[in-house]
Amino acid sequence: MPEESDNPIGDLPDWLTSSQDYRPGPDRDGFIMRNLLSLASVLAQLRLDDGRDGPLSPSPPVKLLLALGAILLTSLSRNYLFVLAMLAVVLVRAAMLPRAALARVTGGSLAAAGLTLVLMLPAALIGQPRSALFLATKSLVTVGITLTVALTTPKAHLTSALRQLGMPAVVILTVDLALHGIVRLGQTAQEVLVALRLRSVGTNRAKGATMGGVGGVVLVKASRLAQDSYDAMRCRGFDGSYRTGASWRPRGADALWAAGFALVLALFLYLQGVV
Amino acid sequence: MHIPENYLSPSTCAVATVAMAPVWYCAVHHVREEVPREKMPLIGIAAAFCFLAMMFNIPLPGGTTGHAVCGTLIAILFGPWSAVLAVSIALAIQAVLFGDGGILAFGANCFNMAFVLPFVGYAIYSLIRSRVEGERGELLGAAIGSYVGLNVAALLCAIEFGIQPLLFTTADGAALYCPYPVWVSVPAMMLGHLTVAGLAEAGFTVGILAFLHSAVPSFGIETHAAGTSGLAPVIGLVVALVAATPLGLLATGDAWGEWAAEDLAEMVGYTPAGLEGGWEWSSLMPDYSVGALPEWVGYILSAVIGVALLVIIFRLAANLARPTVDFDA
Repeated sequence: MPEESDNPIGDLPDWLTSSQDYRPGPDRDGFIMRNLLSLASVLAQLRLDDGRDGPLSPSPPVKLLLALGAILLTSLSRNYLFVLAMLAVVLVRAAMLPRAALARVTGGSLAAAGLTLVLMLPAALIGQPRSALFLATKSLVTVGITLTVALTTPKAHLTSALRQLGMPAVVILTVDLALHGIVRLGQTAQEVLVALRLRSVGTNRAKGATMGGVGGVVLVKASRLAQDSYDAMRCRGFDGSYRTGASWRPRGADALWAAGFALVLALFLYLQGVV
Repeated sequence: MHIPENYLSPSTCAVATVAMAPVWYCAVHHVREEVPREKMPLIGIAAAFCFLAMMFNIPLPGGTTGHAVCGTLIAILFGPWSAVLAVSIALAIQAVLFGDGGILAFGANCFNMAFVLPFVGYAIYSLIRSRVEGERGELLGAAIGSYVGLNVAALLCAIEFGIQPLLFTTADGAALYCPYPVWVSVPAMMLGHLTVAGLAEAGFTVGILAFLHSAVPSFGIETHAAGTSGLAPVIGLVVALVAATPLGLLATGDAWGEWAAEDLAEMVGYTPAGLEGGWEWSSLMPDYSVGALPEWVGYILSAVIGVALLVIIFRLAANLARPTVDFDA
């Protein structure tokens, strides 16, 4: 048995007991890291699985069709009043959403409208401020509709609605896995970046290689996750076809929404004539 | 009572905005501290009432129009600081989206309608309520408080208009901004507000307050009943008011002090220089109307957009309010 030393730290090597004055050199990676992190967190937020049906929601296929129609009409419209009327509809629907969904719809649509406004800034500067405002309102309305539909429909219902509308099974599978994958991709990228930042000290001279490493890890991990979830689906008997069980049953609210859409269509046709 | 763009000198607008800055700061602070999170959407609905009340124009003696504000109503329901925020946001939406009231004059409009009006109304309401017992005292206080509050706000507005020609003139004596001096603007504004608009404000306030007391007693900050349950009657009332907004079009003519530059030029014989070359915001739907369509369509559309925006803003603001779970308790 070795003799115990008087000094409890006497066994430690010299380099560990001597004090060091290491000052890591400054590194300018704040911009890259912050941007990548915020991008990753945006991807991680693209979750579609928290949708809930409202009490007056139409059935998913009708909802999808009407939303597509409304977006199409808004984009085609050359009349500002029509876009404002659609804006009123979207605002009223959004005001009734649960608070978390409302925050996401507002954030998403405002971001889209703001981006459009910035892109259209040259038009405003050469004396066409109206068209910049017009396009910004249009993107506010269309993104608002899309997000509202996504957040008021459970993801499984969206998938079955796509199938009922005659979308090929392989497309649905790809969309399904892609949506799932994007969210996981965002989460993974976020985790890798945070881990990297926590362990990094000093100046990194090979930023390109680091970014490549992060990208590579994320890609490998993502493909493994996709393979895993596809395997899991196979294990549960998935044979590549989407059967939607009972065929589509219309709800009472469908007629109401369809009538509302007919009114919107009439307004659109009338206002296009007025311009 | 919405002061349009360029009727006040930029220096007057700056003074009013600087005066409002601490008020807004205190209002945000107080509302965060005092209003529970689940009551925030209710302030949005109250602000929607205020927005709608301002759309109902009433013909006043002398060919002009006026409207109620309902600032005292919000002060009674949610406290005067909430009223400052609610009326300010309603005024901001009116100015930015609908061109009602100037952007530069926003501070002055808020000073009159969002600060002085609710505080004066609430002070008188509290005074009367402490003297007269029961619901009679409450409704009496609300009636007198809202009447006086609106008239004090109108008086301030008239004084702001009236000092312009005394302070800002060109070398040849023509007014740069609003051309009517105090001895014209004060009687002109007060005649209409003391007689009709003040009564309309009192009627709106007492009517809505009595309705809320009987239909939704939990509406308001002093009751601790569950948040937004049983709101159906209130939402019904808002929808009815939205549908009825075109009634505001029955009153023809402009409100005193809210004329377009060319109308003013016809009345006084020249266009004040400040109005001619002044900056003006081009709003989405100027004067609540769109293009060649019937005015009532624009009016209803404006009402729907305004009300929905106010509800959304205050529902989102609830995320910033203090949480209701008290971990210290």
